[in-house]
Amino acid sequence: MAAIKLFSNNLKIIKGSVPTLSLIIQKNGMSQYPSYYIQPVYKKEVQEELAKTGEAQKLTHMPTRAALNNQTCSHTQDDLVNLFTNYVMKDGLKPLARGLIEQAFENIKRIQLEKYHKCQDPEIKAQIELDPRAIFHKAVENCKPIMNLTPIKRGGVRYQVPVPITPKRSQFMSMKWLIAASKEKDKNVRFHYQLALELIDAANNKGRVVKRKQDLHKQCEANRAYAHYRWS
Amino acid sequence: MIKSGTFKSLLRRHKNVLHFCQLSSAAQPQSDPKSHSFRTDENDPLKHTLDHVGQYYRVPQNECKVYLYGGLPKSYEIQTKTFNETCLMVRKPSVDIINCLKGLDYTKPAVRFVLFGKKGSGKSLTMAHVLHYAQKAGFLLVHVPWLGNWMRNPKELSSSETREGFYDLNLDAAAWLVHFKSQNEHLLSAPELKTTREHVWSKRESTPKDSSLLELIDHGINRLKYASECVLALAEELKQLTKAGNCKTLVAIDGFNAFFYPKTRVFKEKKEVVPPNKITLTEAFLSLTKFDWNNAAIVVTVDEIAIAEEDHKSHFPRYLLGKEGFEHLDPFVPVFVDAYSPKELTSCMDYYRERKWVRYFPQQDEELASLSAYNPYKLMKLCISL
Repeated sequence: MAAIKLFSNNLKIIKGSVPTLSLIIQKNGMSQYPSYYIQPVYKKEVQEELAKTGEAQKLTHMPTRAALNNQTCSHTQDDLVNLFTNYVMKDGLKPLARGLIEQAFENIKRIQLEKYHKCQDPEIKAQIELDPRAIFHKAVENCKPIMNLTPIKRGGVRYQVPVPITPKRSQFMSMKWLIAASKEKDKNVRFHYQLALELIDAANNKGRVVKRKQDLHKQCEANRAYAHYRWS
Repeated sequence: MIKSGTFKSLLRRHKNVLHFCQLSSAAQPQSDPKSHSFRTDENDPLKHTLDHVGQYYRVPQNECKVYLYGGLPKSYEIQTKTFNETCLMVRKPSVDIINCLKGLDYTKPAVRFVLFGKKGSGKSLTMAHVLHYAQKAGFLLVHVPWLGNWMRNPKELSSSETREGFYDLNLDAAAWLVHFKSQNEHLLSAPELKTTREHVWSKRESTPKDSSLLELIDHGINRLKYASECVLALAEELKQLTKAGNCKTLVAIDGFNAFFYPKTRVFKEKKEVVPPNKITLTEAFLSLTKFDWNNAAIVVTVDEIAIAEEDHKSHFPRYLLGKEGFEHLDPFVPVFVDAYSPKELTSCMDYYRERKWVRYFPQQDEELASLSAYNPYKLMKLCISL
């Protein structure tokens, strides 16, 4: 439980020696909150769990950050979708980015429902995924690469060296590729429509983004001879 | 300039509609045998009562295409395509109007019903339900799907030849004539519907007395130049025929207040605005909404969306119609279209879930109810990404 871990860390800071001012500033960056403020717990289920285990009692008097305006207890809220919205966003135009994602989800639903109503066979019909969020999660999962190529200079030559990447980096690359693929489209096709198509394709393990991932893996495989340049 | 492409597409629709009855509609999903509370098996609007309020009924696909053409808002039409069926919710305002229409004394002057309500509360869909009823009850339908199309988005403008200072929207008028003809195909062939006087269009062209109304309409469709004049003549003839008891007529106009809103988007050559009272079509439909005839009923909606956005200040008829329009319609029966009741909202969400449009999560209805403030359109918009 991330919140509890953070809480115990914070507790250590408070109970132990008073942190020097420089430490707080270093840790805090531009935040208006001092570093010992804990993250809010805004999901009802988590709150209930904390209350059950008694952790809530400890958290009661901890200085807590205010929840962000997109952190709600609603079931429609999804962290990964929020993150994706932020990646789509340009120039801080969040309502626009949110609208695009919503429209993309609408298109996914319409495309899938059309397939659903066309399908005659009840067995295949039952397998058609109609939940846009499930499709989105599956698509992001399917596009995650496990290795990346990084240029390393050895003896005046740049080698493309395969390196393993962290899960977070891999998730970021997957989402970045999905967005880039949706932008690569015909002029009179809307972004949200293309995004819907890409997401559906990726969820079915087909399409351009999955191919891009496989191409990267192939390239990594081909460059395996350079792998030792990571160390030497 | 007449855009021939647009007109061709018009004619194509005309043709399609003529042959539509023979076409079999696509495979329809069969409704569940067990009755759901959000869906009624009573698909005949003649039998709808207050007991059915909040329940959906299915409109057959072929009827929907002919009688409700243009009558459904575009966003709703997209939904019906996705849901693979056209369903309308039976709501109190429409049932009230239907009950009134059943009990009216048609020897008395025509009664005017004015639907009003906030944006997105379902005025047009209420009217679609009334229209479906009227079609079943054998009314002759005079239906203008959305007046904003004429006043805010006209196809082309030409100055009238017969009236000084008046302007014609001939392409729109011809489109409407096609719509009118397709809606009333089965009634117009009746032998009693004949012109009461001769209509002279030009030196060589005229429609003689005692020719059928179909001839009159066809003339308007084929000779675009006289389409607006033809609508005027048709309105006059319809009034005469209805008064004589040859047919029962229901006039339904969506966005009626656009007739009294001076800032139209109909422009003359030098970008001068043409007010609605200088457009020939206005005259025809204003004469149809007067109470100087009987055997008819009139249902209109007043809608904020039919006027420019800077004037969306109130949804009440007195503001939207202005003094002139209010006096034109007075006395009328105001029918308020309210937001969903909790029961209607639950039934709407049940319908969405049955159509697999949204997935269930705990306290979904409560959350969406408070977010949408029970407004049907907002609810629909909120559900698009769930």
